[in-house]
Amino acid sequence: MFAQLVDGIFWDIALWVFALGVLWRILSIFRVRNKPDYSVPRGSGLVGAIGANLRRFMPRAEMVSRTRLHVVAGYLFHLGLFALLLFAAPHVLFIEEQTGLGWTPMPYWAFIVAAQLAFIGLLLLWIHRVMHPVTRLISDADDHIAAILTFVVMLTGCMALIEEFDGLRVLHRFMVELWLVYFPFSRLMHAFMFIPSRAFTGAWFGRRGVKA
Amino acid sequence: MSHRAQSGAAHRRIIVWSLLSLLALTLLLPLIPYAVAYVAPVAGGVPNPGSDLWRAVREGEAGTTQVQGVDSGILINASGETWRHFRMQQLIPLGALFMGSVLALIVLFFLVRGPLRIQGGPTGKKIQRFNVFERTTHWFTVSIFWLLALTGLILLYGRFVLIPVLGPAGFGLTASACKEAHNLFGPMFLVAILMLFVTFVKDNFYARGDMMWLLKGGGMIGGGHVSAGRFNAGEKIWFWIAVLGGLVLSVSGLILDFAVFGQGREVMAISHVLHGIAALIVITVSFGHIYLGTAGVEGTLGSMTNGYVDEAWAKSHHDRWYAEVKAAGSAEHETAPVDDGSPARDGVMDTRG
Amino acid sequence: MARMKFLCDAERCIECNACVTACKNENEVPWGVNRRRVVTINDGSPGERSMSVACMHCSDAPCEAVCPVDCFYFTDDGVVLHDKDICIGCGYCFYACPFGAPQFPKMEAFGSRGKMDKCTFCAGGPLPDNSPEEYAKYGSNRLAEGKLPLCAEMCATRALLAGDGDTVSEIFRERVTWRGASGFAWGWGVAYKKPGIRRGYEVEGKATGGD
Repeated sequence: MFAQLVDGIFWDIALWVFALGVLWRILSIFRVRNKPDYSVPRGSGLVGAIGANLRRFMPRAEMVSRTRLHVVAGYLFHLGLFALLLFAAPHVLFIEEQTGLGWTPMPYWAFIVAAQLAFIGLLLLWIHRVMHPVTRLISDADDHIAAILTFVVMLTGCMALIEEFDGLRVLHRFMVELWLVYFPFSRLMHAFMFIPSRAFTGAWFGRRGVKA
Repeated sequence: MSHRAQSGAAHRRIIVWSLLSLLALTLLLPLIPYAVAYVAPVAGGVPNPGSDLWRAVREGEAGTTQVQGVDSGILINASGETWRHFRMQQLIPLGALFMGSVLALIVLFFLVRGPLRIQGGPTGKKIQRFNVFERTTHWFTVSIFWLLALTGLILLYGRFVLIPVLGPAGFGLTASACKEAHNLFGPMFLVAILMLFVTFVKDNFYARGDMMWLLKGGGMIGGGHVSAGRFNAGEKIWFWIAVLGGLVLSVSGLILDFAVFGQGREVMAISHVLHGIAALIVITVSFGHIYLGTAGVEGTLGSMTNGYVDEAWAKSHHDRWYAEVKAAGSAEHETAPVDDGSPARDGVMDTRG
Repeated sequence: MARMKFLCDAERCIECNACVTACKNENEVPWGVNRRRVVTINDGSPGERSMSVACMHCSDAPCEAVCPVDCFYFTDDGVVLHDKDICIGCGYCFYACPFGAPQFPKMEAFGSRGKMDKCTFCAGGPLPDNSPEEYAKYGSNRLAEGKLPLCAEMCATRALLAGDGDTVSEIFRERVTWRGASGFAWGWGVAYKKPGIRRGYEVEGKATGGD
């Protein structure tokens, strides 16, 4: 009964909320216009925008010694998650079923290694967030829920790994649906926002001839 | 003597002796081949192929078979029964007894002795004990350990404890989830243990005063001050149990997790034995560690959550470490200052933060 | 009540593997899984013996004892069966089994083995007798039709016996008596380098259903 809901109407609702929510958030930010900048441009905004997007993948030289754990864990998590989401065999099959688009998945062991790296990254990141006195103070419920919900999605996924108990698959899918519904209203929007965000800062300062 | 007399008696003697000789020969001659077989060495004689064959089979000697599989040529696997007896009659009941009794002793100790208080009460002045990286590593290891311990215990005891609650199908689902989670998080535990080792090893070697600390029971019974460095002997023992136990768990776990390298049943059974024993030992000792880190010793939990401890706590429990910290010219802080993640030196307010 | 047992007479087994093939065909056993196998000891040497072995349906089944999810059960005939819907593929039954009866369709990293499959004495599984679902998961249920396992039925030399333990033991005892307990010809091994008439032997242990 629950399984039918999860595979049926819940999935549709989750997808629609996700799509419309993300769209609405992105549009509402882009609707806010800046006051026009009348100063003489000293550099290119476009170059600044692209440059900032690329440069901010690594921390500034002065910050490297302070952010080592964060950068390493961050990449472990995001790259692992990316590999998992798009190249794990069960997911590739699922996407193919839903959209008709298919591609070659990773070998099984690579899928698992990616999952482990993602788990290590996520655990380290969230524990560090709680342990560091500054991030502990400035983190709110949203930050914690986002991390924990993502962890639960991954955990239920790995519990359903052998794909032999439908209840576990349904649980995983249900967690994914919760995650999708939560996504547009949370910090998880950084997935879409980081590019325009970096672009804006980069363009703003790039126009003034400053590498941001 | 007359010929007749002599021949009569002699005749009888001859007949008797002849009959006896014939009888003896009839009985003994056929035994000669048996004697020959008995004294002939095995190489020259003919052994009984039947009993030799079945002895070899019972000892697990492999034959040939058309089936391609691990151990397929072995007719009888003797290690299976040994392992079954160990897991069902020893590991499970004795493990439960061990864990349960230690837990009960801890509760009893708490009820009788109560928590260890800071001598003279807390001063309100704090010094840093663990920095961000140390605390992150510790809790990272804790989270993976708890997940593995819980799933592992469910796999060991769930059949007896959870099937009545969840039913056979419900428990099958639960156990499958636990097995997958356990197998997946297992290799991560090796990473965590190595991180933990590297982070904490330098203060966990034997130092002067450790033996005295142990002999005095760390002051846990009867109170009284006992000197210790950054880590006391008890903490050092826990460190080495956790690391060495963790390594045994990781290595045996990896053998069990990756059965694709042709490990036979005997290897898997031995790995399982080591894995189970190490797990129960580390879990049980962790009960003590958790107790002492939380309710057992006042003011300790803060060291691992926010990194700071009261100065009086430091003086009570780790006086030599406290003296080193003070001598390094630290300034105390009443509130937790910004921590840049560098190793605990002096707890000085970092202006970069 | 019959107590079902297997007995493989190693003196008669000619390693033809008919039992293996019959089982695989009758039960549509998945690729890579062999419920029954024939093992040959001393292959090519004097004293070569072959034995066909699958699940022996032990009285004190170690597989049942160690299963973490308790998916094994016993029928009234003493046949040991298991529920594939509950099985988690942990492999413990395989470690414990003296005969290596449990088989797994996969062998992948992270302990992924798939559901355990083994000889069912042609008695199917927990699903309804002779239903298509039961056949798909567990193979044929000949016992429910009043028949004996196909491996024993197909045995070319009647080396493999299956059925009520008392009947099977009686047949085997007759054979051993007929062959002669000490039919071993002394001296043939030295004279002709071969043992000649095979000698009888004792088969002990759980294989006979005893202790």
